[in-house]
Amino acid sequence: MAICELHGVTKTYGTGATRVDAIQVIDLIIEAGEFTVLSGPSGSGKTTLLNQVGCLDAPSEGELLLDGRSTRGLTSRQLSHLRGEKIGFIFQSFNLIPVLTATENVELALQLAGRSDGAHEAALAMLPQVGLGGLEHRRPNELSGGQQQRVAIARALVKKPLLVIADEPTANLDSANGEQVLSLMQELNESLGITFLFSTHDPRVLAHARRVIYLEDGRVVRDEVRQPPATRRRQSGTRPSGEVA
Amino acid sequence: MRAPTLILRLAVRNLFRQKRRTVLTATVVVVGIGLLVLGEAVIAGSEDNIVVSAIDALVGHVQARPADYPTQPMQHPVDKLLTIDAPTTAWLNQHTVAWTGRQLFTPTLIFGGEGLRVRAFGYDPVRDAKVFPRDLWKVRGRQPDPVKDEILVSRGVAKLLDIQPGDRLVLQTRTHLGAMNALEVQVAGIVATTQTVLDSMSVLLPLPLSARLLDSAQPTHLSLRFASRDLAPAAKVELARLLGRQATVVTWQDETRELVELVGTKKGAMQLMVAILMLLAGFGIANTLLMAAYERVREVGTLRALGLTEGGVVALFVVEGGLVGVMGSLVGVAWGGALSLYWQVHPMELAATEAMGANLPMSSLLYTRFDPWSLFAAAVFGVAVAMVASILPARTAARAAPADAVRAE
Ligand SMILES: Nc1ncnc2c1ncn2[C@@H]1O[C@H](COP(=O)(O)OP(=O)(O)OP(=O)(O)O)[C@@H](O)[C@H]1O
Ligand SMILES: [Mg+2]
Repeated sequence: MAICELHGVTKTYGTGATRVDAIQVIDLIIEAGEFTVLSGPSGSGKTTLLNQVGCLDAPSEGELLLDGRSTRGLTSRQLSHLRGEKIGFIFQSFNLIPVLTATENVELALQLAGRSDGAHEAALAMLPQVGLGGLEHRRPNELSGGQQQRVAIARALVKKPLLVIADEPTANLDSANGEQVLSLMQELNESLGITFLFSTHDPRVLAHARRVIYLEDGRVVRDEVRQPPATRRRQSGTRPSGEVA
Repeated sequence: MRAPTLILRLAVRNLFRQKRRTVLTATVVVVGIGLLVLGEAVIAGSEDNIVVSAIDALVGHVQARPADYPTQPMQHPVDKLLTIDAPTTAWLNQHTVAWTGRQLFTPTLIFGGEGLRVRAFGYDPVRDAKVFPRDLWKVRGRQPDPVKDEILVSRGVAKLLDIQPGDRLVLQTRTHLGAMNALEVQVAGIVATTQTVLDSMSVLLPLPLSARLLDSAQPTHLSLRFASRDLAPAAKVELARLLGRQATVVTWQDETRELVELVGTKKGAMQLMVAILMLLAGFGIANTLLMAAYERVREVGTLRALGLTEGGVVALFVVEGGLVGVMGSLVGVAWGGALSLYWQVHPMELAATEAMGANLPMSSLLYTRFDPWSLFAAAVFGVAVAMVASILPARTAARAAPADAVRAE
C-alpha cells in the first residue's frame, strides 16, 4: 500500500538570478513498511525532498498525497495536525526540548498528536524499548548524543506514525553509536512495521537500506532495491520513479 | 489547542532558563503594580483624610458663618457675628445630632517679649466635642478650666515660642466693636490634634474666655452634625433660610471640593508614573521574549514539526509572558497591599505638615484606604500588560518557517 505519493513535485527557492531549483520534478511512491534511504551529493535536494514529504514545507508545484489524501490547499493549522498525527521526525541534531525530561519529550509527541489519554504511561513504556530504561527522568543535557537520539527515536515512534522522516540521523554520532541507532531503527521498522525515509551521506547507513534513491541536482537518478538479508520478512519491489501505483 | 498542560509546563520551565532575565523583567512589574496599589490607596486615603478632617475638626457636616466671610487663611474678622434666634435654635435641637458655635479670631499672643499672631478657637466646653470628636487629641498638661482664664496652646505655637504648660501669656485682640482688649491667661496644656490647622498657629480657649476677649458671646461659626453626612445638602438649604441674609451656609462638600480636586490631579500624576513604569515593563517583557524567540528558533521549529500549530506557539509565548506578569503582579500587589493595609491601621505621622501644611486643612496623619478590589484590578492590569506585550514576540516566533527552524543553530 502506498502511504506517500509525490506527483510532479518541484521546489524552487528565490527568483531571478538567485533562483535555485532544489527539486526539479520528482515523482515518487513510498510503500508501507519501507526502510528507504535518500542518497546523493551535498546540495542534491535530499533535505528539501524530506521537508516536502514531512509537510514542513509546501511544494512549488505538484502534489503530495499522504495516506491517499492530497495535502494541497491545507491550512497551516491542518498541516500542523497532519504532522502531529502522521509524521515522526528524527533530526541530525536530535532537537529534544531541553527543559523537558526524556519521558516528557516522548509524551509531548503523543499530546501534540491529539492523544493525551495515557500519554504518560505510553511514553514511560516506550523508553525501555529504545534502551533507555532508568533514564526516564533525565533532561537532554544529562544524556549522551546517542542516548539523545534514542529519545528522539522514541519520540518519533511512540505515536506509531504513518512515516518516520530522518534527515542524516547519524551525522552527529560516532560510528558505534551511529550503528546502534541504525540497528534500533531497523528493528523498530521490522517489529512495528513503521515506514522510514532517511537521507544520509553515511555509507554505513546505505548498508542497512533496502531501497536507495539517488538524487542529483534535484532529480532522481537511480532508485534501487537491495536484496534484503534472509532474516527480513517484508519485501518492497523496485519501482521506477515517475510511475504511479 | 492540543497539549495545554505540557505547554503550561514548558512555559513555566522556560521562565527558569534565564532566571536573571526573568527576575529583572518581573521586578519592573513588581514596582509598577505595587506603586499602583499603594498610590491608589494613598490617594483614596487622602480624600478620606480631607473630608474627615474637614468634618471632624473645622466644618462639621454643615457650617454657617457671617455673610461675605473671607476665605483667605488667617483672616477671621469679628465685626460680624451670628445671631441665632429661637426658631433656629429649636430647629437645630430638633434636626441635628449636635450643634455648636465657635468664635474664630486672630489675637496676638505675647510671650517672653515676643508677639505672634495666632488663630484662636473659642469653643463651647460642653457642645464642641459632640460636633468635633477629640479621640485623637493628645494634651500635655490638662484641659483648661472654663471658669479660670486657661487655654490650650497648639504644639506648633508651643514649639515656636517654647511655651510649657503652666506658663502665663497675654492674648491681645480687638473686640467685635473694634476696641483693643487683652487678657493674661495661663497655659493649661499643649495640644496635638493631628489636624494641621489646629496644630499649627492656633490656641484653643473655652467660649467664656473668648467671649470676654471679643466682648460678645455670639459665635462667628455655627457647626452642625447629623446622623449621616449625606443629610448636609438638604440641611444647608433649611439653615440658610432660617439664618437669612446674615449668614453664608456651606456643607462639608463645599468646603472640601477644591482640595479633593487637587488630590485628584495628584492621582493623574501617579497614574502617569505607573503608566510609564508599566510601559517599561511591557517593553522589558517584549524584549525578553523576543530574545527567547530568536534563541529558541530550532526548539519552536521542532514543536511545529511535532504538530504544534502557529496558534500554539503564540499561546506558549503569551503564557510565558503572562506568567512574568502574574509573578510580578502578585509580588507587587503583596507589597503595595501590605503597606496600604499597614498605613491604614497605623497612619504615618508626617512631621513636615506642621510647618508647610498650616493652611491646608487636613490631618497630619497620612493614612491609606485599603481596597481589596484595587488589588485585584491592579493584578489583572499587570497580567494584561504582560500578555499584550508578549503578542508581538509570540507572533515572531510562530512565523518562522518550520523547515528552516528545525535546522537552525
Ligand atoms: N531555504 C533555502 N533557500 C534557498 N536555497 C535553498 C534553501 N534550502 C536549500 N536550498 C538550496 O537547495 C538545494 C538543495 O538543498 P538541500 O538542503 O535539499 O540539499 P541536501 O541534499 O540536503 O544537501 P546536504 O547533503 O548538504 O544536506 C541547494 O542548492 C541549496 O543551496
Ligand atoms: Mg541536507
